[in-house]
Amino acid sequence: MKNIVLDATSDSARRYEHRFLVNEAVARLALRTSGTYLPLDRDDRPYQWSTTAYLDSYDWRIFRSAEAGQALQLRVREYHRTRPNEILAGASVYLEMKDDSASTSFKERYEVPTMSLPAYLRGEQKLPRDENGLVERAERTIAGGVRPVVVTQYNRIAYSAPDASMRITADHNLMYLAVPWVANDESSLPCRIGPVIAREPGVIIEVKWYQELPRWADELYSYIRDHMVNERPSKFVVALRHLLGEEQKSVAQ
Amino acid sequence: MKDFAVTMPPGSSTIPTSVVVVEDDPASADVLQRRLQANGMKVVVGRDGGEGLALVRQIVPDLVLLDVMLPDTDGYDVCLRIKSDGSIAHIPVIFLSARGEVVDKVRGLSCGAADYVTKPWNAAELLARIDAVLLQSRNARPPRLEPQAERPERGRPVAAITLKDPARRAEAEKLLAPRFDIIQDGSVAVDLILVDDSATPDRDLADDGAAILVIARGSETPAAEFARLDGDLARHAELLVREMRLVRDMGAAADALITLATSLEAHDRFMMGHSERVAARAVSVAGLLGLDQAAVGTIRLGALLRDIGNAKLPPPIVHKAGELTAHERESLEQHPLLGEDLLRRVTPLAPILPIIRWHHERLDGHGYPDHLTAEKIPLEVRVVSVADRFEALLADRPDRAAVSEPEAVRILQGAVGRGELDPAVVAALAAQVRTAGQEAEQ
Repeated sequence: MKNIVLDATSDSARRYEHRFLVNEAVARLALRTSGTYLPLDRDDRPYQWSTTAYLDSYDWRIFRSAEAGQALQLRVREYHRTRPNEILAGASVYLEMKDDSASTSFKERYEVPTMSLPAYLRGEQKLPRDENGLVERAERTIAGGVRPVVVTQYNRIAYSAPDASMRITADHNLMYLAVPWVANDESSLPCRIGPVIAREPGVIIEVKWYQELPRWADELYSYIRDHMVNERPSKFVVALRHLLGEEQKSVAQ
Repeated sequence: MKDFAVTMPPGSSTIPTSVVVVEDDPASADVLQRRLQANGMKVVVGRDGGEGLALVRQIVPDLVLLDVMLPDTDGYDVCLRIKSDGSIAHIPVIFLSARGEVVDKVRGLSCGAADYVTKPWNAAELLARIDAVLLQSRNARPPRLEPQAERPERGRPVAAITLKDPARRAEAEKLLAPRFDIIQDGSVAVDLILVDDSATPDRDLADDGAAILVIARGSETPAAEFARLDGDLARHAELLVREMRLVRDMGAAADALITLATSLEAHDRFMMGHSERVAARAVSVAGLLGLDQAAVGTIRLGALLRDIGNAKLPPPIVHKAGELTAHERESLEQHPLLGEDLLRRVTPLAPILPIIRWHHERLDGHGYPDHLTAEKIPLEVRVVSVADRFEALLADRPDRAAVSEPEAVRILQGAVGRGELDPAVVAALAAQVRTAGQEAEQ
């Protein structure tokens, strides 16, 4: 079958990844500090809208696995200057697979034409194999039937080391939105976004690195930990907890 | 909500621009308010994000001027809430903030604001920016439709004649007068409008219910929708009006069916009024999901008639209070098919047949009668299913007491977790219940 992947990026090693919910003042300090040592990520327009549609089955197999600590997230990411009211409307999207454990992750990212996405989700189009085996695992999940089930939208500002060894991001205005169930069919595109199911009250800071944090980053990391509102699971898990009314249960635990 | 005073500048004759200013600093708000009022604007001030948002929803102003740093939230959040609410999303927002870094401006604009002005502002520049934003906003807004005139009950049909030539107009009037009442203005909704073949009907006269008959000139044979000024005109016009009335009668027939379906519920004190509540709830949820007007209409009618198949079942089974036997359950589960069969021949009701047949289907395939799965169940059906189950939970039943709205939402979210219901539809319902709860608290 003809390969229609436009671009691909891959993690060659497992990456550390910690997320914190912080208030605006802590976020500003973290960004100022990061900006002193790291350049703004070239790929990220500051505060552009990241829209991510997470995929799952109607019986939530991916979410239940994630709650059990074994997750391969499947997601579709788009970038826009202003907040879109629908997903999968542009010419191309990034289809991502992310192995997300408690504190580390692997990620594969493929840019594909939007109109070919349903064929991938029906299993008719195949992605090139990756060295971490994420594509193979994803194909097994896709065979069970997955659809976009929840969307996150946020403004991201990202600072990244030129050698990609570390990355610090701040996500403002994070919203979780529902998506009505649709067929994996070209005629379903673009998909409408459903109602806002929850808004994050603060800023999500993510610190990602491969080996060791430099001293300044280690100090910043400790500062954030000391001043955070709380540590966060992945956006996917938080979104699904909100969607299924399980957020209160998770807080109670 | 607090009362607010609107100050109008003296001598103002045109409709003033209404502005909601959201600013927590009283001195800044006062200066801004005075400056805008001096330029003919109606200004209302909200002192924090919550009050500002409430004012925007209440007044639906032409413009919002929004500070970023507010005591209860930030301006970005307020802007996003405005832009996420379909009823006020069209209102342009201009940020007014002391935060002047590029990232602040980019963030404000990416939240959907039309402009970002830094403090201290210059009055001339601010007014120029307001003018530019309002101009763009007004050009983008679709025209508002005037409400239609009341349509009289059956009697002699009413016709309006808009032919330009006085002689032809008089001739048409003479030909129609034996069978039509002729009117000269738009005070009464008309059944028929006669127009010249090159003209479009008068907007004051035409509405969706009026038949339009074009009067051809010359001696050529007119097409079906054309007529000539001759002895056949009245008959032609009457046929056209009758056809239009037939379409309206289908609406009346649907109303009669709704009455029938409702009367079935009236025999059961636990079900009385249930369909109306389901329909109202489903319509509201459909609105939150952004469904178009046609889909909302289908949902409303489908919700009202979804259980009409019960009319073909023995009443003791339909109204049985205790547990059903396997045979009784099997009979009861026929009602979607019976309902569909009942309405199948009524062509204009075709769009609601999926709701009638499938409103007991579940995403996991364990519903009935066809065991459809997931997206094979149309979204309109999924909306009605959720509204039906929700409203049922709010009512006392012989086997259990009613639950509160938040508890009913939690029960439905559990059903989403088990793969039974559409998560987005339940999320829309949850948002509606949450908003209603917040408004009740205020």
